[in-house]
Amino acid sequence: MTRLNVNGQSFDVDVKAHEILSDVLRNQLGLIGVKVSCAEGECGSCTILVDGVPATACLMLGRQGERHEITTIEGIGTHDELHPIQEAFVEEQGFQCGFCTPGFIMMAKAFLDENPNPTEEEASMAMSGNICRCGAHPYIVKSVLNAAERMQGRHESKRTTGSTGASA
Amino acid sequence: MNVLHKPKKFKIVGQGIPVIDAREKVTGSLEYGVDFVLPRMVHGKIKRSTVPHARIKRIDVTRALALPGVLGVVTHEDAPGLNWMGVWDNYRGQILDGISRFVGDEVAAVAATSVEIADAALDLIDVEYEPLPAVLDVEKALLDDAPQVREEGNVRDEYRVVWGDLDEGETQADYVIDQEMRYKAQNYAGIGRNACICTWDGDQVSMWTSSQTPSELQTGIHQAFGIPMSNVRVVALPSGCSFGLWWSNNFMMVTALLARKVRKPVKIELTSQECMAAVKRRHIEITRGRMGVAKDGTLTMADFSHLMDNGAYGFKTDVYFFCCDLWGGARNGDYRVRGVNTNLVTSGCMRAVGDITMGLAVERLADKCAHKVNMDPLEFRIKNQIKSGQQLRMQEPRQHMKGNLTDYIDGLTEEQTGNWPKMFHLSSGSTHELLLKGAEKFRWHERWKGWGVPTRVNGSKRRGVGVGTGAHCCGVEFGGNTSSVVRLNHDGSVNVFSAAGRQGQGSETTLVQVAAEEMGVPVEKVSIVTGDTYVVPWASGSSASTTMFRTGWATREACRDAKTQLLKIAAREFFDGIDHEKLDIEDGIIRVADDPADNRRIAIDELMNVLCSDSLSQTSVITGRPNGVMPPTIAFARQWAAQFAEVEVDVGTGEIRITDYLAGQDSGTVMNPKVLKNQVIGGAICGAGFVLYEGMEFDPSDGRVLNDSLLDYKLLRTGDFPSDPEVFFVESQDPVGPFGARGAGESPAAAAGPAICQAVHNAIGVWVDVPMTPETVMRAIKENEGPKAMAS
Repeated sequence: MTRLNVNGQSFDVDVKAHEILSDVLRNQLGLIGVKVSCAEGECGSCTILVDGVPATACLMLGRQGERHEITTIEGIGTHDELHPIQEAFVEEQGFQCGFCTPGFIMMAKAFLDENPNPTEEEASMAMSGNICRCGAHPYIVKSVLNAAERMQGRHESKRTTGSTGASA
Repeated sequence: MNVLHKPKKFKIVGQGIPVIDAREKVTGSLEYGVDFVLPRMVHGKIKRSTVPHARIKRIDVTRALALPGVLGVVTHEDAPGLNWMGVWDNYRGQILDGISRFVGDEVAAVAATSVEIADAALDLIDVEYEPLPAVLDVEKALLDDAPQVREEGNVRDEYRVVWGDLDEGETQADYVIDQEMRYKAQNYAGIGRNACICTWDGDQVSMWTSSQTPSELQTGIHQAFGIPMSNVRVVALPSGCSFGLWWSNNFMMVTALLARKVRKPVKIELTSQECMAAVKRRHIEITRGRMGVAKDGTLTMADFSHLMDNGAYGFKTDVYFFCCDLWGGARNGDYRVRGVNTNLVTSGCMRAVGDITMGLAVERLADKCAHKVNMDPLEFRIKNQIKSGQQLRMQEPRQHMKGNLTDYIDGLTEEQTGNWPKMFHLSSGSTHELLLKGAEKFRWHERWKGWGVPTRVNGSKRRGVGVGTGAHCCGVEFGGNTSSVVRLNHDGSVNVFSAAGRQGQGSETTLVQVAAEEMGVPVEKVSIVTGDTYVVPWASGSSASTTMFRTGWATREACRDAKTQLLKIAAREFFDGIDHEKLDIEDGIIRVADDPADNRRIAIDELMNVLCSDSLSQTSVITGRPNGVMPPTIAFARQWAAQFAEVEVDVGTGEIRITDYLAGQDSGTVMNPKVLKNQVIGGAICGAGFVLYEGMEFDPSDGRVLNDSLLDYKLLRTGDFPSDPEVFFVESQDPVGPFGARGAGESPAAAAGPAICQAVHNAIGVWVDVPMTPETVMRAIKENEGPKAMAS
């Protein structure tokens, strides 16, 4: 048995030597928020935090998760109680299809923990390791900046009304 | 024709509400194809061809079947004559047929108790190929003595759009300019991959997969397996970014075949490499063109010949281009398109098909004409592009009609055409207002310094600005009809059943907004099913920018029908027999419209539970569906985009950076500005990727895809596109679309390339081939002997 500490809970899991951490999290613990796309560490969809540091779960073996604190998207907020970063992504619509979104949010979490007051350029650079194919790029960056404000308690929710002349 | 939109009249239309699945997306709980599982499910893997063209002489599965855990194998011997057709001719062929037509083609499939066992069993299938000559080049595939990829031959019939007389156009021209553009294939590079889960219960088949087109997939299974449509249930799950990749794909049919063989639920989950090299891609395309221009800037002729490769299983005759309508001001025109098969992975409709490629060629050649007569590209567009009310150049339904166009129009009765717009004329919108507004916002006249003249030079870095335009259809009727059903429940809540895809474009949300607006209920009272063919009526799926225009129309009509039924009951049971047309619903409350003095009010849920005077019971649940038909969409509706870019080109390294971006969109009434601006910028980034980085590389010896991974196939990332682009809307109301709305997804992708390419030209004075990688930029500069040399 391999003991995995995931989202603040301990699990004893039967992990075969060759099994990939993303598969273990998805298939054995039901954490489907760990989305796997390229499976070669390039797209960042499967980004998790390992002791607070972002990592692509598709490039780790399951047993490498032992003796670490693993955080997945399920560990930072729930449907009824979203994390401020998740609230920001909802408000700015920092996504389209949503497949890459958990990875972006996890990357944003690690980034904002280190840099709570980023500039637009810093946020843009920090998000460039993850791939969004839909092309929500500007709104992802805005989400990160919006999240920074929320986490500092400086955010006032904007309401978009009316349909003419809306600007991005 | 352009009715100015008055936002005040709508309560829900135009609201930037968060998409209804936003919470599922940000918590990772939304279930895509790859996430879906069934009890007792087993796993499948596909054996793929290693050769570009061969007959399978012998296929022996004995060793594979002997591997513990293997439950069954299917080969072409299990699929005799199982033919089917994909959406828009993106696939035509058998599920498995004993001939390999590209490296990666499906040869066999294995079902096993685990993915690992299925994978191991693939190597135990012995295939003996009898090699056939292969054709890997689209122009060579045209030749009479070329190897034939398909029984039907390589070359499809030419598709033409013609008006006027080219010879006359040439006589009227002061200058005639020609040009050839060659495009690499763009990869869908869909983040999210896909899986298909299929199970047979007797002769009933059920399938769960990510798909934009649930109804067409249902039809495909019905065709392939010869079972009644009523026995086919497709549940189209949300997909990752699709751009047209996940419609109805052959791997889904292979899954169904395997599930029928082993009589267990089977899941085939594709790897990223399979998605990028063995499913579908954009066509390789070549556009040759000539344009004639008079000294006053009038385009006198447009003569284009376009070639596209269908890969192995595509069967398209043309690329569905609308650039001929966009530049419809040209006095004479002849656009010809041919589709040709090659032994390369199948190609098909990718976002803004035709208009991102052929459209770019037309825009670039028009730019060269404008340059020749020294006219501002913005003025040149205003002068030569189509305006609302004018005749469309594409009269496409001809080829689908009995008789000719005149017969068709003359044959329409007044009852049929009642409120229809004028057929084969543009009903609403154009680039005109977008260009005027955009010029003002972008300070175009201040920033544009002339053709090939940079706006700023700083050492090796040169900045230039450009403007580009794009058009596309708003769905096409011959892809299939449209319908929608709504159900009004006893508690006043509403279910909408509309066939649509959920690839991130937000249709599930915008269709709910249409329904809530028409029913007069809050958005929270409406829920929608888009993917389950057991409940949604057949409608063409989310392709060809269909959904808002056509499915939105059907959804609104269905709501109107349900509302009429409800108001008739209200009039009889509560409003003393008043004419039901005098009633209206607001916030779920029925009242007499336009009579503030009448204070009678009844809530929908209350009325739904009143004991009716006829049946002595509460009313049955109300079901609504469209009355009447939608006019042929291609005969009047288009969407428009005009985009402005500033780029910085480093003439020392060839690197291009986009430094400023403005995107204008006219898709009629805006249903949800947040959804639309995301679509517009997403389209721009797709188009920007196409002209800056993206292109598939094929091995010249066997056609295999060399860059089938995101490591080798470069996409734009944050930082590669400005983080603060501006988006603006012009809302020319459509007379048919729901509340005046039209399609939106594809014209923005078509406008980006021309804007960026022109900006690069203006920065360095050279036209650069696409993709404009640093190497290509440097080569273009050198070939033109210095940055100031002119290309044309």
